[in-house]
Amino acid sequence: MKEVYRSFFKRASVFLLLLTSVAAYGQHIVTGTIKDPAGNAMPGVNVLIKGTGNGTTTTIDGNYTLQANDEDVLVISFIGYKSQEIRVGNQTRIDAELREDVSTLQEVVVVGYGEMKRTDLSGAQTSVGSEQIAKTINTTIEQAIQGRAAGVYVTQNTGQPGGGISVNIRGVNTITGSNEPLYVVDGVQIQPSTLSYGATSSSNVLAGINPSDIANIEILQGPSATAIYGSRGTNGVILISTKRGKVGEMKVNYGFTYSLQDKPKNLPVMDLSQFADMTNQIRKITGGTPPPEFANPSLLGPGTNWQDALFKTAPLFKHQLSLSGGSEKTTFYLSGEHFDQEGVAIGSSFARSSIRLNVDNQTRKWLKIGTTLSVNQTKERITATQENTILNALQIAPNVPVKNPDGSWGGADLTNGNLVQFTPLNPVAIANIVQNKQKKFQVLGGVNFDVTLLKGLVFRTSLNGNLGFTRTDYFTPTYRLGNKTNDVASLTSGSSDNTYWNWNQLLQYNVRIGKHDIGAMASHESQESHWENVSGSKRGFVTNSVPDLNVGNTQGATTSGGQSPWAMESYFGRLNYSYNDKYIIQGSLRADGSVNFGPDNKWGYFPAVSAAWRITQEPFMESVAFINELKLRVETGVTGNQGSTSYYGPLASVSTPWGTGFPLSRYPNAALQWEETHTNNIGFNLGLFQNRIQLEGDFYIKKTNNLLMTSPLPDYMGVSAEGAIAPPQVNVGSLENRGWGFTLNTVNIDKNGFSWRSNFNVSGFKTEMTELYSDNAFIDHTSWFIGDTGSGNNWTQRSAVGQAPWLFRGYLYDGIFQSVDEINNSAIPVKVNGDRQDVAPGGVWVGDIKYKDLNGDNKIDEKDITNIGNPWPKATFGFTNTFTYMGFDLNILLTASYGNDIYNFLRFSNTNPNNINLGRNLMAETFNYARVEGSGSEAHLSNPGTDIPRIVTPDVNGNGLRFTDKFVEDGSYLRIKNITLGYSIPKTLIGKQNVVQGVRLAVGVQNLYTFTKYKGYDPEVGAYVGRDSQSTNQSIGVDYGRYPMTPAYTFSLAVDF
Amino acid sequence: MKTLKHIKIYVAVLLLVGLFAGCGSDFLDQPPQDTILDVNFYKTPEQVLAGSAPLYNVVWFAYNDKASHGIGDGRGGVLTSGSYQLENVEFKTTSVTSENLSAWRAFYNIVGQSNTLITNLRKYAGEEVPDNIVEHAIAEARFMRGMAYMFLVQNWGEVPIITDNTALLQDTTITRNTVPSIWEFITRDIRYGTTHLPETPILAGRLTKYSAEGMLAKVYLTRAGVGKSGARDNVFLDSARILAKDVIENSGASLMTDYEELFKTKNNNNSETLFALQWVYNGADWGSQNSVQAFLAFGSSITGFADGWGGDIGASLYMLNKYDGLIDNGNTPDARRKATFMFPGDHYTYIHQQVIDPNTGNPVTQELRVPLGGSGYNNRAWVKKYVVGRPEDNEGKVSQQHTENGTYMLRLAEVYLIYAEAILGDAGSTSDGEALKYYNRVRIRANTSTKNIITWQDIFDERHLEFAMEGQLWYDFVRLHYYNPQKAYEILSTQDRGFYRITPDKIPDPTKWTIAVDPDDQTRTFPVDDGNFRIPLPSTEVLRAPNLSKTPVPYNFN
Repeated sequence: MKEVYRSFFKRASVFLLLLTSVAAYGQHIVTGTIKDPAGNAMPGVNVLIKGTGNGTTTTIDGNYTLQANDEDVLVISFIGYKSQEIRVGNQTRIDAELREDVSTLQEVVVVGYGEMKRTDLSGAQTSVGSEQIAKTINTTIEQAIQGRAAGVYVTQNTGQPGGGISVNIRGVNTITGSNEPLYVVDGVQIQPSTLSYGATSSSNVLAGINPSDIANIEILQGPSATAIYGSRGTNGVILISTKRGKVGEMKVNYGFTYSLQDKPKNLPVMDLSQFADMTNQIRKITGGTPPPEFANPSLLGPGTNWQDALFKTAPLFKHQLSLSGGSEKTTFYLSGEHFDQEGVAIGSSFARSSIRLNVDNQTRKWLKIGTTLSVNQTKERITATQENTILNALQIAPNVPVKNPDGSWGGADLTNGNLVQFTPLNPVAIANIVQNKQKKFQVLGGVNFDVTLLKGLVFRTSLNGNLGFTRTDYFTPTYRLGNKTNDVASLTSGSSDNTYWNWNQLLQYNVRIGKHDIGAMASHESQESHWENVSGSKRGFVTNSVPDLNVGNTQGATTSGGQSPWAMESYFGRLNYSYNDKYIIQGSLRADGSVNFGPDNKWGYFPAVSAAWRITQEPFMESVAFINELKLRVETGVTGNQGSTSYYGPLASVSTPWGTGFPLSRYPNAALQWEETHTNNIGFNLGLFQNRIQLEGDFYIKKTNNLLMTSPLPDYMGVSAEGAIAPPQVNVGSLENRGWGFTLNTVNIDKNGFSWRSNFNVSGFKTEMTELYSDNAFIDHTSWFIGDTGSGNNWTQRSAVGQAPWLFRGYLYDGIFQSVDEINNSAIPVKVNGDRQDVAPGGVWVGDIKYKDLNGDNKIDEKDITNIGNPWPKATFGFTNTFTYMGFDLNILLTASYGNDIYNFLRFSNTNPNNINLGRNLMAETFNYARVEGSGSEAHLSNPGTDIPRIVTPDVNGNGLRFTDKFVEDGSYLRIKNITLGYSIPKTLIGKQNVVQGVRLAVGVQNLYTFTKYKGYDPEVGAYVGRDSQSTNQSIGVDYGRYPMTPAYTFSLAVDF
Repeated sequence: MKTLKHIKIYVAVLLLVGLFAGCGSDFLDQPPQDTILDVNFYKTPEQVLAGSAPLYNVVWFAYNDKASHGIGDGRGGVLTSGSYQLENVEFKTTSVTSENLSAWRAFYNIVGQSNTLITNLRKYAGEEVPDNIVEHAIAEARFMRGMAYMFLVQNWGEVPIITDNTALLQDTTITRNTVPSIWEFITRDIRYGTTHLPETPILAGRLTKYSAEGMLAKVYLTRAGVGKSGARDNVFLDSARILAKDVIENSGASLMTDYEELFKTKNNNNSETLFALQWVYNGADWGSQNSVQAFLAFGSSITGFADGWGGDIGASLYMLNKYDGLIDNGNTPDARRKATFMFPGDHYTYIHQQVIDPNTGNPVTQELRVPLGGSGYNNRAWVKKYVVGRPEDNEGKVSQQHTENGTYMLRLAEVYLIYAEAILGDAGSTSDGEALKYYNRVRIRANTSTKNIITWQDIFDERHLEFAMEGQLWYDFVRLHYYNPQKAYEILSTQDRGFYRITPDKIPDPTKWTIAVDPDDQTRTFPVDDGNFRIPLPSTEVLRAPNLSKTPVPYNFN
């Protein structure tokens, strides 16, 4: 391979030399004037000699002068206008008239159930094109959106290959439902549900789609754009169109990408000598015997570096081959891909193979048939995330070896305390031996017929479907990891399939009568989906090497099944009117009937209207030549959310000695109805200096009423823990989002073949709960698995009236008690009867944490818990810079988030010195825990400056139990998301062969560097996904050992044949 | 050309009609297909009984899991610990202690499911279901609800009584009820079973009339002290006596001959059982199993799985002192010791353990010989009761955090002791033949000496020996506390809950053990008074339902 590239470059330099020498021969001066169709002189127009960087730009009068050769060809170009090529010959004066490039200005964009001229848009909508998508390494399509559009807040919930992503469009729209937008992939509607519980929660529903097949992504944000999707439009709609063939010679393209993903930078944890030292000290403090092997800590080496053992540099490959082309009648696009990504953490990987065929056929003059078909398969290993290996790698003690001298896996033993329940399992062993795999097979596609009935009147019907098969296997083999053994292997295998179909019939009528442009659309749509699942589990495998249900023991085998139907029927229509391309009005109405609601509430109605005024089309603006486009937009509309839970009262299945028992599993609620969002939006589009500067801005207020939520009932209603009746789905409360977004596209330099273009987008939103069933009401998400499970102090995030949703809850940290006097003068925790806890070494003592007594009752109790952090950013940014020169292009993407908080749970848990008693390793800073000297009133700290509390059990003061603002860290970051340098080898250099038409080489680095104050691996924390997360307890902005994103170095090659 | 145009218009009209024709009416009516709905259920006797069956396991799970021994034995002074359940062991249970939360949730789940079942049966029960079956299920629901309130009132004092959960879904005005009215409510619920349940179980392990009578005897025994000071209410004591006697004489229940046999999985629902929770070890649903072995067993070598997290817990010195002769002579004739706690060197033939063969380095399985507890730091008299061993010891019916061992809620031995205590009443002692007869039956079965005269202390101690690690002893203190709080505080505050070292005289097959106080452990007792006797309401609950802070009111029975 290397040899090939070297010879390419050799040839390239020879050609360059030759060209310059030729250029020096037979030159003469050429002058000219460039004008627009109206006859006005055009300044700043590029006049270049083709194939070189030589050239000039026109002056303010539209004139230019340059030296050229007889054989040269001038390329005259200006943004927004069609380029012209003129052979010089013996001419000395070459004038030209540039025509507006209709393909840019009259650019047609995809909207919900149709297409529209970009200039006719009256609502807020953003496009992301295939060129942008191609610039970054995207395992899945949503990654391509990050940083590209204002109003879209994308966080990767996990760095796990193929892992789930949160896409929030314009704020938080619902409290307990899904906030993910509706994706429409070539007509197939996919709404990622709220997180699914269990062994596969970290994976992604859109992972099967090959990002290289995407032609265009439209992000619908404003109400007039989204309301046509009615009850599924509240969270925004992302329209994804895949590539289609174009008439002409068949294009063959091969692409190859290789990427090397780096390990994360290690977090500072204690080494073995510190760990041994601290273990000895806690044994002394708690009245135990120090382990003999730790007798002399200073002689012990650094011990096992678990982070080095868990993380590795990992490769990523992608091969992509596409063929496209077609005749006048039939065009096609055929592509195939193989993608293979190893994760940087052992026990994670993602692979996808996909084939796509899109065919369009003009069957008759009046009939057009189009089909799309995608078949794909993904394979994932998700052990790393589902087994919390990253958390465990930070917590497992350094005296535990990864492997024992005899080659078996190491594990914690009695030296690490005998609380084997709490000592982590060897994460490297677990990542290697536990198999948690997921395989998905998907067929996605459809057919549509366009019948032109009369001029302007088109009937379109489309039938789209999505079939999916998923197979999951979760095998835990027998193992012996130190004192932890698993003598019985277990396997759970599940198989599920889902079918979805959508049949749409649509009439579209467009007519232009004089200056009146009128469009009308009416449509009916029905869609239905069905999901079913079977799973089986067996225990007791005689061998670990054949993990199949056939091999397991039938005793203790369990099976389960499930299915769920869903259906929706809709009628909708839209009217567009524009007068003289100046005044634009649009109105739409959709009626949706859903199975999720009872007979009285089945149907919901979703209207929207919008208007735009293109001020630049007014006569009085003609004199303002530097403004090319100024459009004001207003829109208002209603969208909905139908949730995913039905109104029935289902019974649960419970095993009893007398067969299956049936208790109620959820309170029914026949009054359940839609969640409704009213949005008002104003916006503008501004184009200056021949559209070299384009600014787009939007401001919106979204008010959501009848919030769909799980009723936040107290536990005394029997709604929590095993055997509970789940609270009913109810419509309670309101929330409001206020937000803004700006997008600035500029052509900074476009001169002499060198261009520099930028896209800068910034947006922000503020969400506030405005109403619940009472002013004091709140809804908590409590993650039972985050926090001290032994004490009931579990991580909680709250939504309450007057606040943003899901604020962090905790106490305020006020330092470490330095003296008995200080304790006596401070509020401290109290006993059950309200008396102060004893001020004594076994109670509250010097070295304990001082909490702020917020209500001034001189007690530290749950009433002093307050909001300590906000997971939502104040603003997010994306900044793309593209430089091109000759065949080179350089692309730099920066993404940033400002003002969000992260709760660094890893640091909270791993700086609790008492945890050393559980045989856990801790952050290096913990070694400086408060050391208490002296007794009685003489007690003081030998290290008074420390902010780590003392060692004490039981922890009456709650040092290691109470969450405080001390670990709320600023999550703002600026990330150099991507830098790519590409070189398209000019055709002239490829030379005299007709096999290869074009070659592009690129090198890049993804996630090069992140500027942040955050102390964990990676500030892009997102929502927690993992084995125990559930939509009713999911945390946001809490780092509980999130799989970090790391730098990746990429080489890619694209060849056109 | 013109005709073509006409055809097209014709087609367009047709399409328009088709467009708005829509789908069939049942397209938008698709009830769940993988679950049964409340409205369609309770149509046969089997369905009605399947509706009440979960009241015997899953709803109790969150209490049985850890809180039953954390509160029932940890707070009662039976269990000591170096780490696990420390807040309960040291009488520092707070509003956020996890056993507090899980117990509260479990009891209200029992209430919620019982109420819902009663409502659904009244609403949806089919006409072909015989009345006595509907009444059977209602009696079960009321019994379970009564049990739940018994635990609630004893742990938290004033709590809200809820009888119709659906009526409260939008209501936040609920207040707590007073203790005496809660006891009256419990009495009515349990008493319903004495007239609506059959004399013999409809299915093995189901409640009978005698389960209800025995439990009602216990209710009266406790209620006799409610609101009293020093002396108890004789009317209630009499009721307890009469009910206990009826159970003893007419239920057909009998003591098992060998105490240790009571705690084997194969002896679930034996002749002594009056009410036990009914677990299934291999349910697909979490919560239908008995999980306590995971927390009580000293190590994974005796569970066969990665559980067995009880290495740091064991009998308290206070408890060990109750065994005849154990501390003084190094051993006790009391058969209940070995069935309740494991001492180093104890040999159990019916439980196996996996050890590493020192010669080959390979794991081998052998009959359990309880190992020495390592260094002084982790020396405990580990828990044996409800530790049933590995799958091979239980016909395979064990997996991680899953056993099928029934949890005793009431067995005949307790009715014997209730009977004796009801006869004794508040007298200093009694030689009543009936009281002695049944008291001594419990002693004889345990291989301990009989007595000719018994006091309150004798019965109290006997309950310790008989029911240790059955989650009972804390409630014995609550019973005492109702009419003599000072005495309860005094006993609790002087219980030795500190560490000790237990050393066998020889290995294997020791005959004696030296039990010596751990000199490093200075904090051996924990003060108990009105400040920490009761468990505080869970803090999340108080925050979510501020009405719980209102003054409690008597429950309105109309």
